[in-house]
Amino acid sequence: MNKLCDKVLCKIKEEKIAPKPRWHFLLKDYFTWIMFVISIIIGALAFCTMLYVFSNNDWDLYKYLHTSVIGHIMLSIPYIWILFLILFLALAFYNYKHTKDGYRHQAYMIMLLSIAGSALLGTFLHTLGMGEAIEDLAANAVPYYEKITCCSHRKDIWNQPAIGLLGGEIVRIIDSRDFELKDFNGAIWQVQEDEDTLEFEPLKIKAGEEVKMIGEEKKENFFWAREVRPWQNKGKGHPAKARVEE
Amino acid sequence: MLDKEKCGEKTDEELVALTLKNQDFFSCLVDRYEEKLMRYIMRISAVTREDAEDLLQEIFVKVYRNLNAFDQKLKFSSWIYRISHNQVISHWRKSKTRPTVLKFEADEDFLKFIATDEDLARDTERKFTGEEVRGIISQLDEKYREVIVLKFLEGKDYKEISDILEKPLGTVATLINRAKKQFAKIVEEKGVKF
Repeated sequence: MNKLCDKVLCKIKEEKIAPKPRWHFLLKDYFTWIMFVISIIIGALAFCTMLYVFSNNDWDLYKYLHTSVIGHIMLSIPYIWILFLILFLALAFYNYKHTKDGYRHQAYMIMLLSIAGSALLGTFLHTLGMGEAIEDLAANAVPYYEKITCCSHRKDIWNQPAIGLLGGEIVRIIDSRDFELKDFNGAIWQVQEDEDTLEFEPLKIKAGEEVKMIGEEKKENFFWAREVRPWQNKGKGHPAKARVEE
Repeated sequence: MLDKEKCGEKTDEELVALTLKNQDFFSCLVDRYEEKLMRYIMRISAVTREDAEDLLQEIFVKVYRNLNAFDQKLKFSSWIYRISHNQVISHWRKSKTRPTVLKFEADEDFLKFIATDEDLARDTERKFTGEEVRGIISQLDEKYREVIVLKFLEGKDYKEISDILEKPLGTVATLINRAKKQFAKIVEEKGVKF
């Protein structure tokens, strides 16, 4: 046996060095893969919320909102969710690169794979309504969320009764055509509907519902509604029916 | 004590499996790779022979500790070269010095490789048959020097280099191409004659 061989074997025997167990390496490998998959899933959640916020920003109404198409697009980009998506794509990339075979693939291929994974899963989750659920959760649970998200200006836009835009929460049903609304500044308005008013699904005129309306300020704190839409989603429009008084 | 003749006909992979059952078989792997790795360390770093021996000892202990991490999809030689490469880099980081002048011997095989490389011959319109090749390799960027050493001195193919350096095959091919171009440029600028 040569000198180095002696030294190595002596060291191994003297210091009682033993090979690390196989599970140790398997665990490390599984952990990296799990972190990769989690990053892709969180990226997908960010993507589906991004889709929801972007697609739900009054695209059919921008002509009433006194802004250009480009201006409206810029104001509708959910920057915070894009940042989230980029962050988790970077994490997915890092984790994939650290898997056992991660080095075999080019960086751009891994990025494309991660983007495609998050986008496909995110689109699927969007169709299940996950984006809306996350947006609602974030709005309720994250302090200042509405200030940091793209669409914080939305409430300001819908607080311009002088140009026919009013939004807020229904506080009381007055009669079959009228209800009371608290706008986003806290002012109370009486809102009147008539047979020309269009209501958009899935709207329910009842206390506690948030709505946005296009119409006309007839006098101080009195608004005639030509269209009443739910604050979030919008379906098909139909003429307003007289409500049965509670 | 282990009879070394028992190792002769065994493959590296078989020796790994045997070592996991009986640590004495590890001496066969040490014998088999000691000289090769010593040469490799000297070629990619500027350490003294004594330092290289210490490094080599650390490498073998690390290999032994991580035997269960050896992936059968790789050649054992690629795996042990990868550990050596990483250990040398880690040594550079600890000592905060990187080699500028290499002390390797440009042996006959290496000169033959360089001399017969068609791309290099076409780029430089020269035949390489001199000791100045060593000087040129010393002047190459570190990332190019590594691939040149593995390709032309260690005789590794692209797949093995990819596994050793943990870089994609395409990147290895690009690095080798660029290394050849830099090699040719240095030859042209310095007017090196072989």
